Amino acid sequence: MTRFIVFRCLAAILTVWLASMVVFAMVRAAPGDIIEMMMGQMGSSEGEAALRRFFGLDQPVYVQYLDWLGRVVTGDFGSSWRQGSPVTELVFNAFTVSFELALLVLIVSSLIGVPLGLLAGYRAGSAVDTIIQAFNVLFLATPVFWLALMLLFGVSTFFYWSPPTIYVSPLRSLTDNLIILAMPMASLAFLQIAAYAQFVRQHVVEALQQDYVRALKARGVPARTILGKHVLRNILVPLITFMGLIFIQILGGVVVIESLFGLPGLGRLLVNALYARDFPVVQGALVMVLISAIAINLLVDILYRAIDPRLRS
Amino acid sequence: MTAQFASMIARRPALTMGMALALAIAVVALLPGLFAPQPPNAIDVGRALLPPSAEHWFGTDHVGRDVYARVVHGARVTLGIVAGSLALSALFGGVAGTIAGYLRGWSDLFSGQLVEVILSFPPIFLGVMITGIIGSNVANLMLALSIVYLPLFFRAARSAAMVESARPYVEAAQVLGAGEGRILFRHLLPNVLPAVLTQYIILFPLALQIQAALGFLGLGVQPPTPDWGASLQESKDYVLYASWTAIFPGLALVVSSLAVILIGRGLQSRT
Repeated sequence: MTRFIVFRCLAAILTVWLASMVVFAMVRAAPGDIIEMMMGQMGSSEGEAALRRFFGLDQPVYVQYLDWLGRVVTGDFGSSWRQGSPVTELVFNAFTVSFELALLVLIVSSLIGVPLGLLAGYRAGSAVDTIIQAFNVLFLATPVFWLALMLLFGVSTFFYWSPPTIYVSPLRSLTDNLIILAMPMASLAFLQIAAYAQFVRQHVVEALQQDYVRALKARGVPARTILGKHVLRNILVPLITFMGLIFIQILGGVVVIESLFGLPGLGRLLVNALYARDFPVVQGALVMVLISAIAINLLVDILYRAIDPRLRS
Repeated sequence: MTAQFASMIARRPALTMGMALALAIAVVALLPGLFAPQPPNAIDVGRALLPPSAEHWFGTDHVGRDVYARVVHGARVTLGIVAGSLALSALFGGVAGTIAGYLRGWSDLFSGQLVEVILSFPPIFLGVMITGIIGSNVANLMLALSIVYLPLFFRAARSAAMVESARPYVEAAQVLGAGEGRILFRHLLPNVLPAVLTQYIILFPLALQIQAALGFLGLGVQPPTPDWGASLQESKDYVLYASWTAIFPGLALVVSSLAVILIGRGLQSRT
């Protein structure tokens, strides 16, 4: 188990390293840079050269990369070219906002989606199953940002309420924070509830045909115990893998709707930095996303070995 | 004939519904002028933000363009981009995956690692990164979408090719002295094709969502081209008092995704 964890961690670090190279190369290959934007029409060539020296852009790309990598390893992503503030701090603050929202969505959608899937799978072919499946297909087809727009419109029209547009940190006031996050959370949750329900239903239908379920039924064990205790435990491994995927997908969804709700998260930071050609921030934000996605996959891999002893050997 | 048709609908309702929807959408995308003769980009500021009426079925947007015409003409833009980029992705990913799965060895290891790196980016971030960095236009958007889904086609083709490589017909071809190229393209590729097509149907709704999300972020198709995602981006400031500018392009996205999802589910449950 320890050997496995060490091996997987090394593999994860290798992937992050390779991917960071891809990020760096792409960002540097981009047409148009911030120097041109800063100098505008009035720029002199001496001024431009001085700025390039200041930002270290006069060095060859591989020197820039090694220099950047050397500092990233120590947790220093450099400073934003536009604001001058440290990238590590900007990215970290933005990440906590996105992460909190993603975590809320994950919790809410697991709590609703898994029971729906259990119910639909257990009553496969019934009217309840048909309704749940119709719900799944409908919300799997609905873009989250459009659902967010519709919620904004619907709630403001029928309840005369819109979410506040100034973000409040949960450390300052948890209630205010949750009020702000309620609507973005709802817009993201429907898709994930549908995804969960569909996934769990499929696995329950398969599990119900297996001998252990038939044996339990024959012994007169109530349906709730069979589902909640035995079937759920047996599908836990695929479910956890799925949760990891869902979480990464939610992080992506969060990014798309952040600007709409005025949340100062990672997506807004990334998109704004891209528009401004503020490359240290772009690199920092992307590496942060990579690290979290790879960390989630790693966690999933370790977790299901911990759960299922059969996978350990 | 009609009896056969009715029995098919009864046996596979999801597939039939999906196919019918997809067919209708395809006809609209191919012949938008037939359904909306008015030009999608005709600006008439005097008639901005009018609610739906007999004259403007879906109302008008913030510069007085007809929303119905924009939704209808947008079908070709939005769905064309998704279909095209996935086709590119399927072609390159499918061929590379087949080669990797058949030859194995170094090429397989190398492309496998490359695929792993691409897959470590969540799709939307990869899309944002590519279009945001190299610039947002239709060609770059298509490039971004095809790169995002390349690994999944590669994987599907690779595992199908590995299964097929073990079949007797491949061995027979080898024994008969057929070259590697002939075995790959004449024998393996046709047998890998179904796996790639299945992947295409599964990925289509996902790619459509990413395409629309990029348009919504302002990183996809640029206005005034009547793309659904881009239209939603333009509508977001007016949604509270002119909801029709957001409702209809979004419904178009939902119905299109729905059609393909239904086809996918219909094909999966072969009962």
